[in-house]
Amino acid sequence: MTAFSRRTVAGLLIGLIAIALAWGCKDKGSPGPSSSGTLRVVATIGMIGDVARNIAGDRAQVTWLMGEGVDPHLYKASPGDVRLMADADVILYNGLHLEGRMADVIVKMARTKTVVRVTEAIDESQLREPPEFQGQYDPHVWFDVALWSRVAERIRDALIEADPDGRETYAANAEAYLTKLRELDEYARATIATIPENRRVMVTAHDAFGYFGRAYGLEVKGIQGISTDSEASLQDINALVDMLVQDRIPAVFVESSVSRKTIDALVEGCRARGHTVAVGGELFSDAMGPEGTPEGTYIGMVRHNVNTVTRALGGQVPPTTADTGASRENP
Amino acid sequence: MSTATPQPSASSAPKTGTPASPSAVEVHDVTVAYHRKPVLWDVDVQLPTAKLIAIIGPNGAGKSTLLKAILGLVPLASGRVEVFGKPLKEVRSRIGYVPQRETVDWDFPVDALDVVLMGRYGKLGWLRRPGKADRDAAMHSLEQVGMAPFAHRQISQLSGGQQQRVFLARALAQDADLYFMDEPFAGVDAATEQAIVEVLRRLRTAGKTVVAVHHDLQTAPEYFDHVVMLNMRLIAAGPMETTFTAKNLQSTYGGRLTILEETAEAIRRGGRER
Amino acid sequence: MDALLRLLTLQDANTRTVLLGTGVLGVACGVIGSFAVLRRRALVGDAVSHAALPGVCAAYFIVGERSFWAFLVGALVFGVLASAFISFIWTATRVKEDAAVALAISGFFGLGIVMSRMIQNQPGGNRAGLDSFIFGKAASMTMSDAGLIGVVAAVVLLVVALLYKELKLLCFDRDFAASLGWPTLLLDLLLMALVCVCTVVGLPAVGVVLMVSLLVIPGVAARFWTERLEVMLLIAGALGGAAGLLGTTLSATVPAPESGLTRGWPTGPLITLVAAAFFVISMLLAPRRGVLADLIRRVSLRRRLQSQNALLAGDDRSPLPESPHPTDRPRGEAQP
Repeated sequence: MTAFSRRTVAGLLIGLIAIALAWGCKDKGSPGPSSSGTLRVVATIGMIGDVARNIAGDRAQVTWLMGEGVDPHLYKASPGDVRLMADADVILYNGLHLEGRMADVIVKMARTKTVVRVTEAIDESQLREPPEFQGQYDPHVWFDVALWSRVAERIRDALIEADPDGRETYAANAEAYLTKLRELDEYARATIATIPENRRVMVTAHDAFGYFGRAYGLEVKGIQGISTDSEASLQDINALVDMLVQDRIPAVFVESSVSRKTIDALVEGCRARGHTVAVGGELFSDAMGPEGTPEGTYIGMVRHNVNTVTRALGGQVPPTTADTGASRENP
Repeated sequence: MSTATPQPSASSAPKTGTPASPSAVEVHDVTVAYHRKPVLWDVDVQLPTAKLIAIIGPNGAGKSTLLKAILGLVPLASGRVEVFGKPLKEVRSRIGYVPQRETVDWDFPVDALDVVLMGRYGKLGWLRRPGKADRDAAMHSLEQVGMAPFAHRQISQLSGGQQQRVFLARALAQDADLYFMDEPFAGVDAATEQAIVEVLRRLRTAGKTVVAVHHDLQTAPEYFDHVVMLNMRLIAAGPMETTFTAKNLQSTYGGRLTILEETAEAIRRGGRER
Repeated sequence: MDALLRLLTLQDANTRTVLLGTGVLGVACGVIGSFAVLRRRALVGDAVSHAALPGVCAAYFIVGERSFWAFLVGALVFGVLASAFISFIWTATRVKEDAAVALAISGFFGLGIVMSRMIQNQPGGNRAGLDSFIFGKAASMTMSDAGLIGVVAAVVLLVVALLYKELKLLCFDRDFAASLGWPTLLLDLLLMALVCVCTVVGLPAVGVVLMVSLLVIPGVAARFWTERLEVMLLIAGALGGAAGLLGTTLSATVPAPESGLTRGWPTGPLITLVAAAFFVISMLLAPRRGVLADLIRRVSLRRRLQSQNALLAGDDRSPLPESPHPTDRPRGEAQP
């Protein structure tokens, strides 16, 4: 047996660590040199960014930090992100403790830049303060389209403030977009209303749908609290199986950012009691779908959720409409 | 202590067809190094059969290492070893081994009989369990070292001398022709020492060979009839009478012994009387 | 109380699954962990658990999505890497045993943290699956999970039964085993592979930090009750299984403060606590090796000795003489 020198071992270790670091510091694909005079807007989550993009049109370049499937509660800004924000003219974020691990970065940026908490447009009385959030507000405001329209207005005002010359463009774009949001809001309400009364319960592995439920008439039950890595206890699962079986809930929903294991365990538990609970389809909770797809926009995301929930719970989804694109079937 | 007469075992008879070899062990130019530091350097020695052979030398001289090198427990930096004229792996069934007592955790949950039974594992091969014949053989070995009453005592409850006897019994249960022992007399009481010497002599009478690392110069000429003197290199090897001289001792221990000449003389004189 | 009744009558399928899975896991870990403890490899099991994190992340990078089987394989590969790494350091350098293990644990786990951050920050990065694999989600065990544990446990126990004498000798006296011509390195690797597999399969249930407790505690507790290896393994298996069953029972029945996010206690830590309780009880109460038994022996011996001295002094009612040099071992204690 040859004795490797300590130097070889150390060299291998250092090499391994160097590779890991280099990978992590990879640039996030910067937006590239901005065309002359366009505003640079950086948002944290896609739901804000997409709205901003629609309102800004050609006058601004909008990017957002957290893409498909990223969990904003756990996301930590990379050096590339910080550079993006440093180059931006306007930074938009959700607040209400959604971007929990980015707080210090945001505070730092606020000292020298225009940093806007878009949810300040919403009156506090409208915010949910559910018991499981322990004295904090539920941050998942975007699922109440009416409230998110207020946010859209705030974004419009922020853009105008940063770029007064564009006032007319922004106002016009915002007007058009707000109309679409109104339509979306009505669509959601009408579609959900087709679900039979006794089936209007949404069970998910994450408490992101509080506003959704309140706005459109669904009872929402989550298995875990706001954090995605708290463990569901056995008593929780047993109690939930009880509820699902007793109320004959037809479907539970999986989200793009949460473990499927808990859901699988529930389904199995129900099956053992003779009740079939279907996995109602994947919902988008903390992030939109892949960029380039209809679900990769705010409106598409909400629409997808509405359709998926409605279908799974036995409601009627109207045939596809033209202006927001075809709704994609999701198994 | 048991006084059963030793039975020469069947395996001591030379196997038909094997060329008779005058040496039990042949060590050819063996060098062993730990972490690039040499421990044994260019050792070349032949060990005869049917003798009690002592390996002596100062601390760190490589005595244990030589045993382990012969047994294939440490890699050789160079050289080769033959046992009964063949590579070790072909003759393992003819070898017994008594490691140093401190290499083992004596708090292990086994009793004396369990330990001795392990000597039978070589004969069992993979997967098979020891049967009645093996247990009987193990008990017999325990009797030979006077430990039969302690068969079911947990080994941590034994004294140092008793533990050493159990180790020896395990080797006896291997029913070998050639025994390697690493400091079998270290830290044992007088009664155990005598018991071990008795066993060694019986082995020699039965035609077996014993190679033992020995630490006590006073008793070496009395207990053993052949000696290998080692200090990283081979200093001398041969029959005890002619090799265990003051000059060789001086070369081996290099001034670490104080009363060398008188001691060697006195020992040799005393040894001749036995 | 009726929660307890429900459990005892096994009404909830999920509870049944978790009971089965953790019970069987406990038995297998108890047995193979005993060998690891005797072979002084207990902490290597800890390193294997921690190495699961980079393993799971690497699997995610390669497969591109959450897949339980990919995670399992990744954890296993890295677990084997970690134990090979430790063996390598032990034999090739002069770094001491415990330092080598600490090196592996911190190095691999640190690498894992870096990798999991990278995943989290990528588009489509799904950390949740990774987390539950590492931190334990016994409550979410499905029948297929329990089935996998069952298969692994069966294999482990079969190997232990078949290679019992080989493992016994390997743990007791490696040099002697080598002198018999046995491939001790391979046997060592086999032992560590069994530990690895049990660890990896048990991680989703108990989690990284606590996994080592299920490997180590039953064996160590069992040692207090017997001097025979066979019996020790039986007791260790029983204690491990009991810890699983009892821990699950407690988590399914004991009510937790309502104000929290969840009802009830997490299963993994409760199993560890039960195992630890077994250890404390064993340490205190075991008849020959336990602390209390030892205390009683010493006290009674000292009393006997003092009464003997009093008799010798001629008057058994005279005040007991102060021993000038109080010793730990009372004179007159029987020598073996």
